[in-house]
Amino acid sequence: MGTHEQGGAVPGGWSGRRRGGRRLIMGRATALALESYSFWFKPQGGQPEGPAALTDVSFTVEAGSFVLILGRSGSGKSTLALNLVGIYPDYFGGRNGGRVLLQHPTRGLVNRRDLEAADRFKLVNMLFQNPEDQIVTLTVEEEIGFALENYLFEPAEIHRRIDRVLDLVGLSGFRTRETMCLSGGEKQRVAFAAMLALEPAVLLLDEPTSNLDPAGTADVLATVDYVREQLGLTVMVIEHEVDEVFDRVDTVFLVEETRVHGPYAPREFLATRGLDVRDSMGLWIPQAAEVALELRSAGIDFGPELPLNGVELAAALLEAGIDPPSQARVTESPAGIVAQATDATPQSVEAAIEVRDVSFAYGDHRVLKNVTFTARRTQLIAVVGQNGSGKSTLASLFNGIAMPDSGAVLVDGVPTTEYKFAELAKRVAYIFQVPEKQFVCNTVYDEIAHGLRALGMDEQEVDSRTIEFLESVRLLDRCDASPYVLSHGQKRRLSVAAMVVGQPTVVVLDEPTFGQDFHQARNLMELLRGLADAGAAVVFITHDMRLVAEYADRAAVLCDGKIIFDDTPGALFAAHEVLERARLKPPSVYEFSAEILGEPVLTTPALIQRILEVGRGWRRTVV
Amino acid sequence: MAGAELSFRQGDSLFHRMTPFSKLLFVLSVSFVAIFNTNLYVGVGLFAMCLALALFLTGVPFRQYWALGKIIVPFVMLLAIVFPFFYGGQATVGSDTIALRTPFKDLTWAALGFGALLGLRFLALALAGLAFAFTTHPTDLVQHLSRRGWDYRLVHAPVLGLILFPSFLKLGREISITQRIRDLGQNTNWIKRKWIRVKHLAFAMLVLGLRNGQTQAMALDIRGYGAYKTRTFMREVPRHRGGDIFAWIFFALSVVYLVIQFNPATMQWNMG
Repeated sequence: MGTHEQGGAVPGGWSGRRRGGRRLIMGRATALALESYSFWFKPQGGQPEGPAALTDVSFTVEAGSFVLILGRSGSGKSTLALNLVGIYPDYFGGRNGGRVLLQHPTRGLVNRRDLEAADRFKLVNMLFQNPEDQIVTLTVEEEIGFALENYLFEPAEIHRRIDRVLDLVGLSGFRTRETMCLSGGEKQRVAFAAMLALEPAVLLLDEPTSNLDPAGTADVLATVDYVREQLGLTVMVIEHEVDEVFDRVDTVFLVEETRVHGPYAPREFLATRGLDVRDSMGLWIPQAAEVALELRSAGIDFGPELPLNGVELAAALLEAGIDPPSQARVTESPAGIVAQATDATPQSVEAAIEVRDVSFAYGDHRVLKNVTFTARRTQLIAVVGQNGSGKSTLASLFNGIAMPDSGAVLVDGVPTTEYKFAELAKRVAYIFQVPEKQFVCNTVYDEIAHGLRALGMDEQEVDSRTIEFLESVRLLDRCDASPYVLSHGQKRRLSVAAMVVGQPTVVVLDEPTFGQDFHQARNLMELLRGLADAGAAVVFITHDMRLVAEYADRAAVLCDGKIIFDDTPGALFAAHEVLERARLKPPSVYEFSAEILGEPVLTTPALIQRILEVGRGWRRTVV
Repeated sequence: MAGAELSFRQGDSLFHRMTPFSKLLFVLSVSFVAIFNTNLYVGVGLFAMCLALALFLTGVPFRQYWALGKIIVPFVMLLAIVFPFFYGGQATVGSDTIALRTPFKDLTWAALGFGALLGLRFLALALAGLAFAFTTHPTDLVQHLSRRGWDYRLVHAPVLGLILFPSFLKLGREISITQRIRDLGQNTNWIKRKWIRVKHLAFAMLVLGLRNGQTQAMALDIRGYGAYKTRTFMREVPRHRGGDIFAWIFFALSVVYLVIQFNPATMQWNMG
């Protein structure tokens, strides 16, 4: 972050809590506890009360700990967090049973119900997923001061706290900056600072990095680390992308079917349930642990301690007697292994989209500067770059949502300016990040049928093709349901199916796996691979480098409105200058496989395969 | 928060230094004079004064006004051209029943003046309103009005609405793009297609807007919004005597003018 060099001292003290916090950690006092807690949502529109959303939850969180809450999409993680904060049932209704106990600075553990409403949020507070949802003022200082003003703090104290938390989150020079001009990572840090200004004892973070690029994610996590180190704050984080988080936390809870299991130590959790939660619940687990668990099930013993990161994995392999760099003698290069070769798609493959020297501006702000880019049929192309680098604008040129100020965009060899919008939309399917935004019909069936009717099919053919499509995306049993009531994964599958039903030439997706679990993301990417293999050019915008490594044929990097790199993912991850300039980060397996093998690989299966090859030699030696 | 074209701009102009209350007084005075004035020369003068104030006393570049102006001016021009045909006096000159069918040759100077006055009226109101929006910090407005006894939650709610409105507009734009991409209302005539799209837009914005609104409401709740009946303010809004004097003088002049020129017999909506 570059702004945390101010040293360890916390200006002004956390109202004395910093020292208190350390004392609590040493004594491992309880910061928060749930006792037989259950919760039922408020019934809507005269309907009877549904089943419990949380059932008989009991756990204790120690002061100063860093807790990870895991669970599949829709399992109740956010409901749990909102109950811990008190939004449910105090503000949005519902019925609860049991107790939530909070550590009060002077009164000890108290039932949340016995606290004044204002005091509850001072003890435990929450940061939401999308910073845009929680920024309600025009400047950074007002944003941080907003809660303090509401809680009747005096102006002098407000200014003191603003200075202090800006210092803590590394945004000291940002006090008078306009919030709308900040990057995604900066906005999230401002929202974080606004929470910190209340000096809560426990802070809940609900997927705080899911909207951020790799650089923004690194900034936010570094800020959380720094603040925890300085203040001894208890932090509970809900995350899907656990690679960066798992070796930071000290406790794990698993939310499963309205119940909460745990606490687990991270290693214990991964060692006992790692592959199980990945395979049965579709949860992401850290790549290093995934490799270790797969190797363990293949018979390589790492001892009692499961590696959580690449450094630990390399050390464990050495300890197990496997020294791949010296033993690796692979003559063939299986798929997924070290791909620094250039794009192998022949130039003869038809270009579905050609962007020729295109510039585009919103008013005075030039977003794209002389961009040239080609998407060929059968390719799966990742477009990556920082938030605000111009990725979505580039994609919006493909289907005529925006027209270039200069240069030309050609779809199937014809400039987009010469197409009617509807005709272009049939050739280029654009799929939004939020699936609900593209639903136009009242039922799941009609969403699919709508696209087929547009092709002029008769109703009988529409019906048979719709059923076929719904079966292929496993939504036939929900065909009469409203698209808005589907689960997140179902909505995503429906949104993709509805857009590709007309067999477009190009499929463009904005963050296709956003908020998806392991299985949902894999299934979706396989679906896209299938579309590409069937002859479409598939372009997807993403911040997830793991997806880029595993699925993309090509990766185009946008930086400040220019394409600064366009080649294979392997070549991208080897181009350190490009990564640094675009503030990207390779997936962790790429980095630690270089450590282990002496040369990098892109995916965990490739690394496992390689180590096992080496391991076979090792086991023969041992025998 | 994206694309808040009409929101506050930092600055140190006379209008920026005026208290929100002074500016409200000024805008209200302009509004009443613009609405009740029937004299074309006063209308021209009021418009010229608002334009001069906006350009020279707010420190906001003209293109900022023009960002909205380019939308509103064609609409105002249309009104100024069409309304003379509906002018009350016109019915007795041309067609005796339907003013809309007044022949061009029968248009009177009074009717054309009425159209021009109407246009100037809207432009003066728009300029005064924009000058207020560009130079008034929402928090200052809340502070000033709550210090005068208004409940801050009551004042802050519309301010929050204004701040969050651009994201609501963005949502509407995205849904509208979706409708075009998916060709909603395909194979229907223009009117039916528009009707289908408006219905869908309203429903989708209601569903998604409510969901976003719920998250924003949660974010406000956990930051203590409405926890107490009052709140503190991290920065006092300074008083500016010159601004106060300017606003009160303008208010007094407008009251005097309205009293002098008020005559039910000459009001244009008096058809008798």
